Amino acid sequence: MTVLLATLLKVLVIFGCLISAAGISTLAERKISAWIQLRRGPNRVGPFGLLQPLADGIKFMFKEEFVPPGKSRFLFILAPALAAVPAMMSVAVIPFTGRIAEIDGTPILGSVADLDMGAIFIMAVSGLGVYGIILGGWASNSKYPLLGGLRAAAQMISYELSMILIILAIVAMSGTLNLREIADAQNDHTLLGFLPAWNVFLQPLAFVLFVICTFAETNRHPFDFAECESELVGGFHTEYSSMKFALFFIGEYCAMIVMACLTTTLFLGGASVPFWAEAPWFIGLGSFVFKAAAFMFLFIWVRWSLPRFRYDQLMALGWKVFLPLAITNIFITGLVLAL
Amino acid sequence: MEQLVFYSLGLGAVIGALGVVTAKNPILSVLSLLWTFFCLACVYLLIGFEFLAVAQILVYAGAIMVLFLFVIMLLNLGTSEAADFDTARAMGRRLPLVLLVGCTLAALSILAAQQVGGTSDEARADLRSVGSLTDLAQVMFGTYLLAFEAASILLLAGTVAVVMLAKRERRKNAA
Repeated sequence: MTVLLATLLKVLVIFGCLISAAGISTLAERKISAWIQLRRGPNRVGPFGLLQPLADGIKFMFKEEFVPPGKSRFLFILAPALAAVPAMMSVAVIPFTGRIAEIDGTPILGSVADLDMGAIFIMAVSGLGVYGIILGGWASNSKYPLLGGLRAAAQMISYELSMILIILAIVAMSGTLNLREIADAQNDHTLLGFLPAWNVFLQPLAFVLFVICTFAETNRHPFDFAECESELVGGFHTEYSSMKFALFFIGEYCAMIVMACLTTTLFLGGASVPFWAEAPWFIGLGSFVFKAAAFMFLFIWVRWSLPRFRYDQLMALGWKVFLPLAITNIFITGLVLAL
Repeated sequence: MEQLVFYSLGLGAVIGALGVVTAKNPILSVLSLLWTFFCLACVYLLIGFEFLAVAQILVYAGAIMVLFLFVIMLLNLGTSEAADFDTARAMGRRLPLVLLVGCTLAALSILAAQQVGGTSDEARADLRSVGSLTDLAQVMFGTYLLAFEAASILLLAGTVAVVMLAKRERRKNAA
């Protein structure tokens, strides 16, 4: 019973933190972009503009809703939910920290669900986010959203393939699909006596490929062809207003957060702290949040630094560069492991 | 409890399958099929086939159905083309035939399940033992390695053949 309660508490806390983090990320996006462009950014609501996400949320709820006629009204309303739910679901297998406590011999771990195939689960579930985008684009009954939706579908499928192949190399090294065990496997020894044996040092190629793939997978700059303001107005969410539009945004930021957490787990040793093997769980949690936040900053930094690709360049990069490199990486990893 | 979950999932899957053939809008058909896949994945989870469930979602729901949607949207198959054939009404007119075929199929599957002992506790325990990924990998890459590799080579040959056939067609068109 206590275990059940603890799990329920974990679900509530992690879900609440994810949604709040999505809100905070929108503020961070605007603040950091303002710094990069030598502007001030939002600073009117609350101290330093910290309450801006709250004000935005309230504004979204009171905006007028619009459902374009012609196509299915049901699908138009369903699409934002389909875009947001998979991203929120996939956070369930992220191991945010090590063992928190033990109740009646059952360890309370730092993830909602300690799945044996967490790495596959997260790819399977986060891959479903594409339905929200493609259906939203179609149900809008307008040509720009449709183009945006189709582009997003093609892009996400192409890059998901490379992403899974990159994860496979990491899985081969750790010998498990369980994300907690993958993170732990990076912390049991050191390289050259001082470097922690994180996969970022062991698999630098995979790390770079994976980070770039996460940009494509979450439709972020420089690969945001689903939105692509200069060509498609706003892409798949052009016709959306009020809370439905906000759901698309929450889904996008949740997907970014999940990808940041996944990169942390796969390549940066998860919740481990370098040179402090027996760190208590809350220090580990802090370390995890710090690493993931660094990736979130990278997402935003890249968005305001690089110009957008061309669509054919993106597809060529995915199929002709990333896929062969990912497969080569698997072969090299296998060869090294076999020797 | 387990039976209740199983039967509601089964009902959901059947309703989804009916939706696939009766929906007038091809996009709704695809979504119904997606729903059916989800119900089936949950059934797999129920009998302890975790990997099969996740693979079903990853491959069918995550990739193949997106491709279906993609093609339907690119070809712009609206409701207008499908409107002259209303599957639901056609099935309604031949209700006795539909019922007969449906009942026969159901009876056959129940008989087949009893034949292999699919509903006994023993068979269920047997199924559970190969449900985990480790067991599946041992069966696939140990016991049946040769058959597995042969099947993948066959699939590869099929892929290459399709590419060659499509290519020849284009050359003919160009000439």
